[in-house]
This record gives sequence, C-alpha cells and structure tokens, in this order.
Amino acid sequence: MKNIDQSRIFDLTDYKRQDFSVCLGCKICASVCTVNDLSESTNPQEILQKLFLGKNIPSDDHLVRYCTGCYRCTGACPWNIRIPEVIRALREELATRSPFEKAFKDSVSIWGRVYEPYVIIMAIPFLLKGGYIKHMTRWTEYMGIHLPHKVKRA
Amino acid sequence: MNVLIIGGGISGISAAKVALKGNHTVTILESSAEPGGLMARIANCRVGFKTFFDEIRDNERLTLISDAKIAKVDKKEDKTFAVTLEDGRALAADKVIIATGLTPYDPVEYKGKRVLTSLEYDAVIDQRQGELPADFNNIGFFLCVGSRSKDYPLCSSVCCSYTLREVKWTLQRAKPEITVFYNDLRFFGQEFYMEKAFRDAGVKFVRANSRYFEEDEKGVTVRYFAGGQLKEERFNYVVLAIGLRPNPQLAELSNLFGFSMNEYGFVNENAPLQTDVEGVYASGGALEPMNIKDSILTGFGAGLVAVKGPEILAKAEGHDERLYREDEPEFVLSDGNTTTCLFYLGTENPGNGMFYEFVSSKFIEAARDLRKAGKAVYVLTRNMVTPSYGEITYEEARREGIVFIHLEEDETVAFDGDRVRIAREGRELIFNADKVIRFDDYAKLLKDREYLSLYRSEPQLRWSPTKWGRKRYHVGFIRHPRDKRWEKREFLGALGEMILDHEEDRILPEVNEERCSGCGSCKDSCPHNAIEIIFEEKTISVFGPNNSTKVPIAHVKDDTCVSCGLCASVCPSDVISFP
Repeated sequence: MKNIDQSRIFDLTDYKRQDFSVCLGCKICASVCTVNDLSESTNPQEILQKLFLGKNIPSDDHLVRYCTGCYRCTGACPWNIRIPEVIRALREELATRSPFEKAFKDSVSIWGRVYEPYVIIMAIPFLLKGGYIKHMTRWTEYMGIHLPHKVKRA
Repeated sequence: MNVLIIGGGISGISAAKVALKGNHTVTILESSAEPGGLMARIANCRVGFKTFFDEIRDNERLTLISDAKIAKVDKKEDKTFAVTLEDGRALAADKVIIATGLTPYDPVEYKGKRVLTSLEYDAVIDQRQGELPADFNNIGFFLCVGSRSKDYPLCSSVCCSYTLREVKWTLQRAKPEITVFYNDLRFFGQEFYMEKAFRDAGVKFVRANSRYFEEDEKGVTVRYFAGGQLKEERFNYVVLAIGLRPNPQLAELSNLFGFSMNEYGFVNENAPLQTDVEGVYASGGALEPMNIKDSILTGFGAGLVAVKGPEILAKAEGHDERLYREDEPEFVLSDGNTTTCLFYLGTENPGNGMFYEFVSSKFIEAARDLRKAGKAVYVLTRNMVTPSYGEITYEEARREGIVFIHLEEDETVAFDGDRVRIAREGRELIFNADKVIRFDDYAKLLKDREYLSLYRSEPQLRWSPTKWGRKRYHVGFIRHPRDKRWEKREFLGALGEMILDHEEDRILPEVNEERCSGCGSCKDSCPHNAIEIIFEEKTISVFGPNNSTKVPIAHVKDDTCVSCGLCASVCPSDVISFP
C-alpha cells in the first residue's frame, strides 16, 4: 500500500487544507452520497479525517473507486466542502485506474474517439477477472436493471 | 424622558418594564399586527408572554404602535431623535432601544407536508389545535438546519434547547418513538438532566445528521450514517430544528440611526448593551442569538442603561451587596513541553454537563495556543458546546489545523499511558499523545458552588433571570459559566431586575425549639441556604443530675427564606411548621 502525502493531496485539489478542515463531522455528505445508493456504506467525512490524521487510504476504497463526482455532498454540506476534488486527487495519487478506464482513455488519445473493439480487446482480462463480472450487480443497476440486493435497514 | 423601543418582543417588553418604573414615557414600535415576536409563536410560551405583557399593557405612559414602519430619523443637536413613521406620525425620542429580535431560517429546499420546521411542528403538538395526527409513532428531530454553515457561521444557541422542550411536550401528549439527530448537544445548566431523563425514557440520540429526506404519502425515508454504516429509517414526521438569524430589518435601522453592524448582521456592541451611536441601545436578538431567559436579561439591562446612563455600571460594581459574583477558577492546561497533545471533551456525569460550555472554550483556547507553537493537537469531542459567537472561534480552530474527532454515541475511549484507543464495532483508532487532557480532571475545580443555572428548576425561572434568593442576585460565572462578555450584561440585567423586584408577603416557618433535635435535614433540603444550625445552651436531664450543655437547633434566617415549605415537608419529627 502506498503512503499518502496529505499536503500533496490538498495541493492537487487547488484548494487549501483549511477549506477541508472546516468539516463539522456531521456526516450529511454520507447521507446524500450517490455511491451509497449502490448499497455501499461509504462516508466521505471519514476520508477527510483519515487524511488529517495521516492514515492510509486503500486504493480500492469504495468511495475512491466509485465516486461519480456528482457534488451532491458539496451541495448538502453546510460548509460546501468539495469532496469530489479530494477524491479526484486521491485517484491521481493512488493511481486508481482500472484497465478498462485505461483502455477507454488510450482509445480516445489514439483515435480521438472511442473505438470499441480496441477497448474490449485491451480490457478483456480485467472484465472477466476482477472487473465487471465481479461487480455485475452494480453495472446492471447503472443500466436500469434492478437485481435483488440486500438493503441495510436500521 | 421619552424612550423609544423598536420591537415588541419579549426583550422589548422587558426593557419597557424597567423604563416605565422610572416615570419615563415609553413608545414601543412593532412591525407586525401584534406584539409578541418569536416567543409568542411558540404555543407554550404564548401564555407566558401574555401575562408578562399584561402587567404593563394598561400603563398610561406606554404607547404601543402596531404595524409601524420608520420612514425617517433626524438626529438633533442635543442627541435626541425625531422619528417619523410612514403613516406620518412624528415621535420624539431621547433614548432608543433596538430590540428587533431574531428571524427563523426558512428551509424551503427541505420543507414538505411531513418534513416540518420546529415552529410548524409546535403547532401540530399544540393542545389547542385539537387531536394529534393518527400516524404519530415515529418522529425524527434534526438539529443545526440553517446555522453553523458557510452562509451563517454562528450557532443559534437555542435550537438544541427548544428541541428538548418539543420532545418534552410530545411525550406529554403521546408516546411516539423519538430520535434526535445532532452534531453537538448544546444544552445549558440543568437541561443536561432533562436529556438524561429522556434518554432513560427511551428517546434515542444519534450523533449524525442528514439531508436525505424522501417524502411520500405515508412518511419520510431518511438516510443517515452512524455506527460505521449507512442506515435507512422511516419516520412519520421529520422536524428540522431551524436556526435563528438576525432580523433583516436591522440593516434598515442601521442606515436610519447610523449604528454599525458586524459581518453576521448583528449590532456591533460598543459597550455592554450599547451601540456605537450615543443614545441607541440594543438588547435581545439584536445582539446575538440567545434564549428567552437571556433576552429578558438583556432587555432589563438595556432598559436600565437607557434611562440611567452607562455610568450606572461603574457606580454599582462592587458597591451593591445584593449582587453576588465569584471569580472563575484558573485552568492550567498545558506547560507546552509536549509535541502531541490530546484533549478529551467528554463526561459521563450529567452533573458536569453544564460546564461543557466553559470547558469547551477553555480547551479550544489552549488547543489554539499549542497549535500556534507548532504542536500536533487532537480534540476528541463527545459534545462541543460553543454557542453563538463561540462557533466562530471553533471554526478558526478547525481551520488552523487542530484535528477534531467527533465520537459517536457507542464509541468508547480508553486511555493507557500515552496511548489513546477509540473503538467501536468495525473501527479502531489508536493515537500516541504525550499529554492527555481530560474534562473530568478539571470538573472538580468547578464543583461545590451555587450555580444559578443548575439549581433553578424550570418553573422557577420565569421572569427573574438573575435572582438567586431574596436580596441576592447572581451575575457572571456563578450565574452561568460562559464567556466573559456576558458578565457586564448580566450585571446590568440584575440591576434592572432589582428595580422591578417587589417584596411579597411571606409566612416564615417556625421551629419548635423544645423538640428540635438538630438533625440538619431541613438545612440540607433548603434551596436558599436559609436555615442555619445554632448551638444553644440547654439544660437536659438524662438519668442523673441536670446537665447544662450545647445542643444544635435549627434557625430560620428571615432575610433569605422564600417560604417554599421544603423544610417543613422533610422534617422527620414535624418540628418545623407554618403557623
């Protein structure tokens, strides 16, 4: 696991550390987070707290992987803390990029468009092994097919 | 002297009461149709306001102008004001008191048929409005809506308290399941005992907040994150404890009278209860967010300082023996020889709860000093009580890089030498700290004093915010352990309260000295320290020659006794009785 340099993360966001450290710890961000719609339990506030405490963040952290950058957390946050920016910086730092994402972006850089055969060929090992088959329940939801899944209720 | 009071809320009426006592003419301008302000919008407080106002309503020196709007203000050379209203009426005022009060925040983005603001919910549980709704089984309260945020960084300092009262009023009528979602529980004085009582009665407190309210016909689905995972819960009604913001009309008044305002929209206080324009005073919600008790207090103070002048403060300070104050204890928190410092702001004892406010401010102060010296500072908080302007200091502390860790209800903290372990199911945090500073280590410094806010039970509070006993008024730290800026205000308020105070007929309890055994149970029970045990020479004969010896006998001090009758009720041998 890679050690995270917190000052570098905050530099990458174009904001200052103090813009994030005003966090009240109210966990409103977690209540509205889109990643939590996918029956995950992520808490953006915990990511911030780990950064302030200098703790490590695993590169397969659900929020780091699945954050859509919808800024719902920022809209609901009393202090408008821009958490997606932190997540983006973390992705950069942790190099959290799936082979599929890499293939997709490479395709664009080579041809200026998405050339599907290239993407599929490049990403086949990932798609079969750890990628989309493993997370099938999730991507089917993105497509609008709702398979039965467990919802945590209090 | 003509005193013009702008605002007919509780603070304005309090100021009018004090001013009317001194043979002055008082005019109250109220912008709405009825006096009462925010207090009269709460069903349970409306009656109280009415009785309070009825005492002066028929006074011939009082004029109340409803639906008033000031059009023009001329400042004359002799420092008086000529005020013209929009309907053309002209008023002359020697002194002006600004008591515009607070305006509740309107959370339009969240409101709905089942997502109510506290004021709307208050109408639902009001007995005079008829029966409760049929589905009233599960209520969720959410604190800190519209306060402690980027566009209004102050804490409203009353939302937690009134939510607690609403829980009380709800439980008086029905037995729904109640969950209170909070960031910090900012209670004062004996409200911590109320909280403990409600916890024991089954009210759930969750340290998390939410803005995910999915409303449908039958209820509201709420998502919140607690205990390490996202939870989804259904509520019949969701109550948003809305914050209180400054009155927007204060800006117009600032232009008319020329006093300055701070960046948050409140009056700049030049000296206690005075604005920076001579002859213009401020009280209640025009100064900062405050509760009803403090609004009455500042109202009394502003009324007094307006008619007597600011010199009254220096004249009475230290000379009036009815005023009682004590110095706050000195906190020595850290010697600075540490690299990592950890503050633990939490206590299990509800009796220590009332010191949260005082200790929070001390801890933040010390933490900021350490942080400025380049140390790593952590603050573990169970509850951080920094009301109104204290929130600004707290915000600065967060920006400066002090790490605040908010402990949830089920998280435990264990101290083992210089290691601190925070644990709950699925989460563990371990710190190494050179120095650990704990709330409970300092609580003993604050004990064994007669704090007014702790000893006064709610029904007694009424209209005497500083009165402790007969001829004794508590001000400053001993009245309410909080920020220093309040001390002078409380001083003025107590002086105003003395003017209004009147002697009531009392019947003093009598002690049958022959039978009194001096057990002292009456002394222990007396809330006003009005009973002393005196040793008297007495001849007793027990199996032998008559002996003269000293025996303890209870005596009633007639200047402090309030004739409450507690002593008579606890006396084991009915020695104390009322004639």
